[in-house]
Amino acid sequence: MRSDVVRLYKVVHTWTGITAGMFLFIAFYAGSITVFAEPLARWVSSPAPVRLTALARSDELIARTLAVRPDAAKEFTLYLTDTEDLWARLTWRKGKDDRTPWSAELSPAGEVRLAQSYRSSLADFVDNIHRTAGIPGANDIGETIMGVVSAVYAVALVSGLIIVLPSLVKDLFALRIGANLKRMWLDAHNVVGVVSLPFHIVIALSAVVFCLHDQLYDALDYVVYDGRLKSIMAASNPFNSIKKDERPAPMLPVNALLERVKAASPSFVPAEMRYRNAGSRGASVQVWGYDTRYMTRGKGFAVISPVTGEIANTDYLPGREGTWTGVVATFFALHFATFGGDVVRVCYFLLGIAGAFLFYSGNLLWIESRRRTERRNGGPVIQKTSTRLMSAATVGVCLGAICAISITIVAAKWLNGRVANIDVWHNGVYYAVFLASVLWSFLRGAAAASVELLWLAAIAAAAIPFTSLFSWALPALGMQGSASMAALGVDLVALSAALCFVWMARSAAHRVQCGPADSVWAASHRQLQEAAR
Amino acid sequence: MNQIRRDWASKTSAGAILGFSLAIGLAGLFAWLTPGGLATPNKFQLVMWLTAPIWLTTLSLCFFFSSGMRAWLWLGGANLLAYAGLFACRFFLR
Repeated sequence: MRSDVVRLYKVVHTWTGITAGMFLFIAFYAGSITVFAEPLARWVSSPAPVRLTALARSDELIARTLAVRPDAAKEFTLYLTDTEDLWARLTWRKGKDDRTPWSAELSPAGEVRLAQSYRSSLADFVDNIHRTAGIPGANDIGETIMGVVSAVYAVALVSGLIIVLPSLVKDLFALRIGANLKRMWLDAHNVVGVVSLPFHIVIALSAVVFCLHDQLYDALDYVVYDGRLKSIMAASNPFNSIKKDERPAPMLPVNALLERVKAASPSFVPAEMRYRNAGSRGASVQVWGYDTRYMTRGKGFAVISPVTGEIANTDYLPGREGTWTGVVATFFALHFATFGGDVVRVCYFLLGIAGAFLFYSGNLLWIESRRRTERRNGGPVIQKTSTRLMSAATVGVCLGAICAISITIVAAKWLNGRVANIDVWHNGVYYAVFLASVLWSFLRGAAAASVELLWLAAIAAAAIPFTSLFSWALPALGMQGSASMAALGVDLVALSAALCFVWMARSAAHRVQCGPADSVWAASHRQLQEAAR
Repeated sequence: MNQIRRDWASKTSAGAILGFSLAIGLAGLFAWLTPGGLATPNKFQLVMWLTAPIWLTTLSLCFFFSSGMRAWLWLGGANLLAYAGLFACRFFLR
């Protein structure tokens, strides 16, 4: 590689990295947590207020619910699992964004009990932070911005690879720990970047697609499909595979339908059944579930007619997808870690945290390359505004997001069932903590704020297992902590995170007091003393 | 050997704009020329997925061009070929 090309790509890498870095830090940190969205949902859930109807009585539950509430026939969901975050056996809602769905249960005597309750998911909130990096706004503006950020991130990846290629063999496994701290951070940045490069390429490309698919489809429709894409999409839509027919017809029992799906794919484990137009000849049921033997989009589904029992569509049934949806399912799986079970999920969690480290260390290197040094200036220095502001922003945004997510998780458990609209509280707590952290970092300076915010991060993370302890020890609080392995896993990870933050806070404090005084990470009074000498 | 020119604005715009149109064009060719043609159910998703790697590879590598002018010319030529192919598909395969 010619050295002038490498120099040029160094500039590309610097500016793409510094533009996208902090957005990506938040997206990766929240994304790592989103890999374990299900355990998080189970950790935060409060037990269902009534005993859930036994699965064996599902047919009776459906029949009786439809008898008292015919409006539910248009679309309702029957849940087949029995985890603690399940709050009702049968629910229906008006449209996708209806936050107050109805639910129905059977009393032991066989009466239908209806309830309408506000539902929200903490896991969805964290996922939302992952997808938008916390950029608020209507019309998915956050996602669109993150689509552009992801495109910039892809360029940063390729340019980073081009820079390290000439010295790859020589430098890759050299982690030069020593007096030259910048060299050590650069070595660490390079080895993490190169080792996890395939993961990053997959994430960057799929994130661009997830965030910008509307725009990409529009362009393809205009240029390639000549306006016919909508009709092709409608023809491909699995939900249209059973034609509407309003003549009444009896439905087969739940178990019979599940048997048919099992026959079609024995390794598929159903989790929920979404009925549409129940009771009519054109009724359909989407049986959603998991299959760990295949690379899946997450949940897959088969569409089955509850009247005839025929399977109408398997385009999204793992292992039965067909060429086109099968290939795309692989891309989804590579982003969502929905293959290979818990081992892959743990790997994705660690790769995600390593990715966050990559962006953080990238910003540190930017700062280190630009700060004034005593050596170059031949004496004590006052740092440039650019490095001062960038270090404050890096600390405030990155540590702010970490603190805000932990505190939102804790607050969700304490507020669950005590406030009317918990979504508002998720947002309020997250943005209050995040913005306060950023403000704090600019007011106090990066050096002091890094130590203080790391302590806050440690306390906030430790509050997660302590919340569980409280909920077990004091049942009067009404939080009823979950004792499943999944929920305990959340406590355990949070506890180890807290210990990591303590270690980081202590070494950051050491650096503030004892590190080089011409660093942006030295205590400000030391920087001033140096300069005044 | 000639020093490589930086030409930030012209190279970046060539990669972003012509790279994008090239991606749409090549993905369109894929849609036409793979079995079943344009209207095959469910194919459109993979077609859309293809645009991202083509676009971003072009954008990432376009700084290798020795000047912004060359980037525009080469990528413009590639676009002409891709869209000529697309029009040929429309004309002959419809």
